[in-house]
Amino acid sequence: MPDIFVATDKQTDTPIQPESKPLDLDKPLFLENTNAEDVKPQKSHLFSSFYKNPRGIFVKNQEKDEKILLFIRRAMVTNFKWIFVSIIFLLLPPLAYLFVNFGGQIISFPIRYIIFFLLFYYLIIFSYIYVNFITWYFNISFVTNIRVIDIDFSGLIYKNVAVTKLSLIQDASFIQSGAVRTFFDYGDVYIQTAGTHSNFEFEAAPQPANAVHIINDLIGKKNGNH
Amino acid sequence: MEIINLLFSNNLILGLTKVAFLATDLMFVFFLIVVFRQVNLMRAIVNDTNDSLFLKSVIIVLIIGAVSLFLTALVIL
Repeated sequence: MPDIFVATDKQTDTPIQPESKPLDLDKPLFLENTNAEDVKPQKSHLFSSFYKNPRGIFVKNQEKDEKILLFIRRAMVTNFKWIFVSIIFLLLPPLAYLFVNFGGQIISFPIRYIIFFLLFYYLIIFSYIYVNFITWYFNISFVTNIRVIDIDFSGLIYKNVAVTKLSLIQDASFIQSGAVRTFFDYGDVYIQTAGTHSNFEFEAAPQPANAVHIINDLIGKKNGNH
Repeated sequence: MEIINLLFSNNLILGLTKVAFLATDLMFVFFLIVVFRQVNLMRAIVNDTNDSLFLKSVIIVLIIGAVSLFLTALVIL
């Protein structure tokens, strides 16, 4: 019977060992699986939602040798709803003035009252924008070389800060479902922790595959290093 | 229509509108103070040195705006 498969290469007896790098403590702690331009610490801006090695950001109880490696907010596109509503409400008074003919027929208010109502109306709209913005702004998740921190902030009166050590993380995964999420590349990242610790969820995180890859790389490393 | 116009030309109605406006504005000022406090608390947890000045100045401007609107309404309306 003829041979169907014939091994052409000679198999070596010694299995291939993964390269291990010696721990260089003098070297600053940065993510390794990043592009060359990303390795340097970068200054985050007001609308940053995904940053590697951010600069100028500090977390409460941050240790001296603790470095923030990954900084995640919800994807910017998730703010579309309130931005759209805000624009509509901002344009409503001038549009109403232009296209609706009040003509003093319905209610005749003195002009100073109308000015005050209008100013108060815009004050409320700008406050609405601000509150929505800070709700997004303070919903942050950090991955440092020591721990993972998840800060949930919503509705101004609810906040939840969850922290777990990298050594307690068992697995990280993500779910990206739907056309919008696929198009804008964001999804939910889940971090499974050991024992009775609750699992972590980074909602609507941008580049979830990249985030999971980074977290999985950090699992099992001492202080985020090899 | 005529009746409504007549009602709103009445000083009593205007006075009540002023009181309602002042009360709403005052509640709004309290709300903004709560927001300011919450922002400060959150900044204690996460401090982004790049943005903290902007965040703080915006809420201060909003509070000043609401307070000045309250005081001006108190006098002018």
